Amino acid sequence: MELSINNNQIALDDEKGRNEGESIQYIVVRLGEEQYGIDIRNIDNIVKMQRITRVPKLPAYLKGVINMRGEVIPVLSIRLKMGLEADEITKATRILIVKLEEEGNVGFIVDEVKEVVTLYEADIERISSDITAEKGNLINAVGKHNGELISLFDLAAISLEEN
Amino acid sequence: MDVSQYLEIFLDETNEHLTNLNTRIMELESDPENMDTINEIFRAAHSLKGMAGTMGFKRMQNLTHDMENVFSEVRNGVIKVTSEIIDVLFQCLDALEEYKDNIQGSADEGTNDNEPIIRMLNSILNQGKDGESPAGKTPAKEAAPAQESASGNKWDSVVLDDSQVNVIREAQKQGKRVYGLNVSVQESCILKAARAFLVFKAVEERGEIIVSDPSAQDVEDEKFDRDFTLIILSDAELDEIITSCEAVSEIDKVVGAEIDLANNKSAKVIADEEAEAAAEAAAAEEDASKEAEKTEPAAAPAAASAAASAAPAAPAAKAEPKKQTPAKPVVNRTVRVDIEKLDSLMNLVSELIIAKNSLVSVSSQEQTDVNSAFNEQIEYLESVTTNLHESVMKVRMVPIESVVTKFPRMIRDLSKKLDKKMELYMTGEETELDRTVVDQIGDPLMHLLRNSADHGLESAEVRIQRGKPAAGSIFLDAYQEGNTVVIEVRDDGNGIDVEAVKQKAIDRGIITLEQAANMPDKEIIDLLFLPSFSTAKKVTDVSGRGVGLDVVKSMIESLSGEVEVKSKLGEGSTWTIRLPLTLAIIQALMVVVGEEKYAISLGSIQTLEDVPASEVKLVQNKEVIHLRGTVIPLIRLNEVLDVERKPVNEENLIVVIVKKGDKQAGLVIDELIGQQEIVIKSLGKYIKQCKFISGATILGDGEIALILDANTLI
Repeated sequence: MELSINNNQIALDDEKGRNEGESIQYIVVRLGEEQYGIDIRNIDNIVKMQRITRVPKLPAYLKGVINMRGEVIPVLSIRLKMGLEADEITKATRILIVKLEEEGNVGFIVDEVKEVVTLYEADIERISSDITAEKGNLINAVGKHNGELISLFDLAAISLEEN
Repeated sequence: MDVSQYLEIFLDETNEHLTNLNTRIMELESDPENMDTINEIFRAAHSLKGMAGTMGFKRMQNLTHDMENVFSEVRNGVIKVTSEIIDVLFQCLDALEEYKDNIQGSADEGTNDNEPIIRMLNSILNQGKDGESPAGKTPAKEAAPAQESASGNKWDSVVLDDSQVNVIREAQKQGKRVYGLNVSVQESCILKAARAFLVFKAVEERGEIIVSDPSAQDVEDEKFDRDFTLIILSDAELDEIITSCEAVSEIDKVVGAEIDLANNKSAKVIADEEAEAAAEAAAAEEDASKEAEKTEPAAAPAAASAAASAAPAAPAAKAEPKKQTPAKPVVNRTVRVDIEKLDSLMNLVSELIIAKNSLVSVSSQEQTDVNSAFNEQIEYLESVTTNLHESVMKVRMVPIESVVTKFPRMIRDLSKKLDKKMELYMTGEETELDRTVVDQIGDPLMHLLRNSADHGLESAEVRIQRGKPAAGSIFLDAYQEGNTVVIEVRDDGNGIDVEAVKQKAIDRGIITLEQAANMPDKEIIDLLFLPSFSTAKKVTDVSGRGVGLDVVKSMIESLSGEVEVKSKLGEGSTWTIRLPLTLAIIQALMVVVGEEKYAISLGSIQTLEDVPASEVKLVQNKEVIHLRGTVIPLIRLNEVLDVERKPVNEENLIVVIVKKGDKQAGLVIDELIGQQEIVIKSLGKYIKQCKFISGATILGDGEIALILDANTLI
């Protein structure tokens, strides 16, 4: 019960359009039961699941490459990358084409793309750096929206990590 | 030799290196321990030095040389990077920038020696190691010869040959006057050659130039320091000649006097020779031949001066302080196009080919009811796109000539600097390569040639002892081989001393003693391509800092090429560079392995074979086949690529025989699709570790096929 009251408060606050720092739009995706957010400025495109061409000798989470309008783009399984069980491909499965600074475009396989939300600085809580430094951790902050928690991806961790 | 046609390339590259240096040194300031940055700076400085040297910009070369010395010590950990050092380095960059601007404006580096900066660099060096300062010598070195000959009249030390001495004697007998004239150009003078020309012209109006030192050609090429000496025949008074010379602007000083052959050292020698000819014929001959050699550069003054007077307009035009762009003979009408525009054109052609391929695959799927007109049009489209692709590719192709013609001059200079006799023989300058490749192949080739000249060739004495001709030979051969262009740098020198390399690698901790014992020679030679590896015993500014070969390798690999070396101790080395003819579109054989499609470049394929499974033999537990007298190792692609093998025809294997140099291998595949033109796409930076996949291509139906790099499989 306590939680839901809390929710309402946050929702109310949202509607007021407070000025609590900068606002960032996130695309919310589902992986298993959890929700994750990616800064919308880093998203190039969202496409349906398609045939992925396997590339030999890659770590398991790198699923291969796809053809995106004539460009060859590597696709990785965020689930495997984070140590979760393998993807289950359904009708809702999507590939998020993410722009990485160094490596160019990369595709992320997600279970479902849910919505776009606006988060304010005040809604975002950074995670302490000893956790983010852990291997396999791709999350560097948690955002609160409508009483739900959204883990926010740290794209730098994805691009920096040796694959 | 005229290097002005490379000025643009030189300026472009200098710009690039300077920008690079600027950013790297900034990086270094914030992270003084970063070895990668230091290496990068070192390489950029090294390349800059090499280029400046090749172009004959001495002052620029000196400055970069000293800079490089400092970096070398930083790299070795002798000097710690401090903010003072960074300050000095930035001053260096500013000075280099100034040289570059001067060169851009007037094709001359200017006259600023930047001695204060060089002094600072040297004091940094000396702080690092209290001892000898290798760089201090550079500015002094150039001044030395000038001072040496400053004593006495310069024309008396001009070397004369027999005929010249005779001409002078004849003239003096006929009552003509022979003057020696020494003309100094002002230090600030920018177009020394042009001023010198005007002096030549002025003198020729009043007399005849017999000897010029340096030679007229060298003077024309600005290969003189500040002054040059003439010996002239004239009826006019000396004063008149001097006044006319002094009338030329930017001339500092003209001194002259009537010549007395008795004072001339070489003339004396000649006179002596004549006197003692009978007595000491043999000894004198040797002397004379030495003299002849020395005077050889000056042999053509008469011809040159005749040409100069015949075309007085030429020097006058040159005197204009504008950028020196010699008018090229009009052969073809050309348009200069930005390479980026060609790149985008090439990309569009690639897209078109992909679209065409998908049309082809659609039409072949629905063979029955598609009307023939449609097929005809597709065939037409196919031929148009192929031609279009070829023409665009040809537009991008330029002969490597533009890069290699600067090498003979470089070898000549090296020959003097290293005091070794050597000759460069080049073939295949007309071989064409993609413009981007040609632009970047210069540096690696220069490194290899310098390497051959410095490390490869022995000194004349050693060569004679070994029964080789005294003059070493370096060969640069370029030719096309299938889809690749091969450039070979070959010398008949000492070859690579595998034992020395091995010892060095052990000393440096690159390999252990046990590793060394088991390493084949070839692998040991390959160690040369590691960063910081140099077998030269002393550091020269030619090579020998170990910066060359790793740069060569990485540059060539960045062009999707490869480099290998073969060497025989005592007989010489051959460095072979292989470069793809084109970077974007290739003819490939499409094959199926398991359920997957792969492309193999047609360039590396030799033949296709059907091999009965029973003919596969085991040698040292590896599968091989016997084919027309050669034993070829088999590579089962399904194993290499971790593909599940389809239970297909086990009786016969389909084998693609690929070759790399003289090595062969047989790739076992499951199915052949056929030949196709494919557009190479990169797999992106995210996928790194798959060595034998060189890229991907998009097939007609939008599917992706990976491109197998057969070279890495062999």
